[in-house]
Amino acid sequence: MKRFILISMTFCLLLIITFCNKEKPDEIIYQPTPYEIEIPFGFPTILNIPDDNPMTVEGIELGRYLFYDGRVSGRSHPDSLMSCSTCHKQENSFECGINNPDFPGGFPHGIGGKPTPHVMLPLINLVWNHSGYLWNGFISNENPKECFRNIEDLVWMGIIAEHEMFSDTVRAKTLIQSIHGYPELFLKAFGSETITMKNISKAIAQFIRTLITANSKFDKYMRCEEQLSPSELNGFVLFTTEEGADCFHCHGGYGNPLFTTNLYYNNGKDSLFTGEFEDLRDRFHVSGDPMDYGAYKATTLRNIELTGPYMHDGRFATLDDVIEFYSHHLVWSPYINPLMHHIANNGIQLTPNEKEDLKAFIKTLRDDEFLTNPKFSKPDSFPDGTK
Amino acid sequence: MSKKNIVLINLLIFSILIGCNKNNQPEEENFANLTLKFAHFNEGKLLEFDTLIYENEAENQYLVNEIQYLISDVILHKSDGNDILIDDEKDIFYIDTDISSTHTWKIPDKLPLGNYSSISFTFGICEEKNQSHIFPNPPESFMFWPEKLGGGYHYMKLNGKWLTDDNTIIPFNFHLGIGQTYYSFPDSITGFIQNYFEVLLPSSSFELTENQIKEIEIFMNIENWFRNPNVYDHDVYGGKIMQNQEAMKKACENGHNVFTVKILN
Repeated sequence: MKRFILISMTFCLLLIITFCNKEKPDEIIYQPTPYEIEIPFGFPTILNIPDDNPMTVEGIELGRYLFYDGRVSGRSHPDSLMSCSTCHKQENSFECGINNPDFPGGFPHGIGGKPTPHVMLPLINLVWNHSGYLWNGFISNENPKECFRNIEDLVWMGIIAEHEMFSDTVRAKTLIQSIHGYPELFLKAFGSETITMKNISKAIAQFIRTLITANSKFDKYMRCEEQLSPSELNGFVLFTTEEGADCFHCHGGYGNPLFTTNLYYNNGKDSLFTGEFEDLRDRFHVSGDPMDYGAYKATTLRNIELTGPYMHDGRFATLDDVIEFYSHHLVWSPYINPLMHHIANNGIQLTPNEKEDLKAFIKTLRDDEFLTNPKFSKPDSFPDGTK
Repeated sequence: MSKKNIVLINLLIFSILIGCNKNNQPEEENFANLTLKFAHFNEGKLLEFDTLIYENEAENQYLVNEIQYLISDVILHKSDGNDILIDDEKDIFYIDTDISSTHTWKIPDKLPLGNYSSISFTFGICEEKNQSHIFPNPPESFMFWPEKLGGGYHYMKLNGKWLTDDNTIIPFNFHLGIGQTYYSFPDSITGFIQNYFEVLLPSSSFELTENQIKEIEIFMNIENWFRNPNVYDHDVYGGKIMQNQEAMKKACENGHNVFTVKILN
C-alpha cells in the first residue's frame, strides 16, 4: 500500500512539473546581454555604475538611438527637435565646440534661446567620475535627494530645463512610446514595452558611460607604442613638475590618466572684492564650505583643444589664453586653493617656448579614434526607419 | 559487508570529522584583532582647519587646509622578540583628513595574543613597493608622484597657507616623496633619493587578549613637522618642495617626532 501511495505521489509531481514547463515557452523572454567595460591601461578599476542600471548591450544600443533622436524632447516638428547630440557633438569630444554655428563662441542655449548658466563639460570618461557631475558637483551620490545623484538624473533634467530642451517628461515618453520600433527596444533592454522617463534616462546614461577616450598619442606613449616629440616631452615635464607648470595635482598625469581629479578648486580667476563670487552655482553653494567660494570642477584635459571656451564661464577662448592666465594672471583671494601656490608670483611664469611646449603636450591628449568612432556616432536611421 | 562493519566504518568517519574540527577551532580562538585610528593635532588640540591660528617654530603664522598621507608596513613588535607585519589585506594605508572613512583601519589580520613592546611603521612607501600604478583608483591614485621626479606616490600632501614676511597669505604645499639630485636644476636629474622613513611610536606597548578587538589611536602632531630637530621656515622654503631635497630631508628628519599613540582599550 505504501509503495502504491509513493508511486502515485511521484506521478502527480511529474505531472505538475510537466504542466509548469509547458507554460514557460509562451512567456516573453527578457534576457539582456551584460556589457563589460574594458579598463584601459592605468585607468581606475572602480566604475560609477548604479546598481539599478547595469550596463547591457541592449540598453546601450537603445541609449545611442535616444541620445541622437531629437524627438526625445517630446516634439516632432523638424524645427523644434532637440536631443543630447544637438549640443554634445562627437567631433568636439561631446561638447558643443567653439566653432559650432548654432552656438557662436561655444556658448550653448536652450531651444528657446535661454543661455546655459555655465559653458558645457564634455561627456567623456564619466564612468570614472565618483565626485559629482556639473561644474559644482550638484549631481552627486551625496545629494540628499535621490533624483539628483547620477548621469540618469542629468537626462531628465536636460529634457525639462528651460536652457536645454524645455519640454516635459510626459510629452517625451509619450512621443517615444508612439514611435514604431522603440517599444520593442525598451522591452529588450528593460523588460517592458511601456516606456518610462526612468528607462529613457537609464538607456541614455548607459550609452554615455561607454564614451571612453583612452587612445590618444599620450596613451600610446604610456603604453610604449609611440614616442612624443622633444617639444611634447618637455611639455610633459613642465606639466608634471612643481618647478614647471605644476598642472598635475589637479589635472592628473601618468599616475592619474583621467587627467582630472574631478574635484573642485578655486584656481585664482577672480578676487573677492569685485563681486565675481556671486555665482550661485559655484561649489560653495553645494558644499557650504567657505573655502569653496569661486571653486569649480577641474575639467579633464583629454581632447581639451576641442572643448573651448574654457573655465566655467567660458572666459578664455583658446588654450593660449588659458596658459597665459596660469602663467601670469592669477588673482589672489582668501579662497584660492592651496595647490595654487604659484600665486606668489602671479602665476607659473613660463617662457614663450615653454608655453608652446606645454600646449604641444596638452594636444597629445587628443584621441582622434574616439572622435570618429562609429560606435559613438549618430545611427544611420532610428528604430522607425527615419534618418 | 555485514551491518556491524557498516556501523564501524560510519563511526570511524564520524570520529575523524570530529577530530579535524577539534584541531582547527582552538587556533581561531587564540587570536585578537586590532583597529588603528588616526587623529590630527596641533599643540595638543584637535587640528582646526582653514583658520590662520597656528604659529610654527620659525614664527610663521599658518593654517592647514588638508592632509593626505600613506603609511605602510606596520609592525607590531612582540616582547619575546617576534615581529608581526600587518599585510593580510593591505600593507599600505591611506589617510585623508577630508575622508572620515580613512581615519579608521580595521585590520583583518588575526594577531597572536600576548604582550607587545611597541608599534612601528614606514612613513610613505619603501622603494621596492613604491611603484607607479599600484593604486589605479582615487583617492590613492591622486597621490601619484611624477615619473620625472622618481615615480610612485607622494608620501604626504600637507596643504595650507602661511603669512609671508610681506604680510600676504600664500599657499604652501608641504609635499614629501622621492627626492632628486640635479646636475643642473631643474632640468638634469642625476639620481633619486628615497625619503621614506621608519616611525617607532613611543610608549606603544600593549597587550592582546583572547577575542579582543584592540583599538589604538595614532596622533599626527602637526607642529612637529616644522620644529624638531629642524626649524622649518616657510619664508625660506616657499610654497613648493617636491624638487627641493634639502627641504624634504629636513621635513623627514622632523617626521620621526611627529607621531604619538594612545592605547584605547
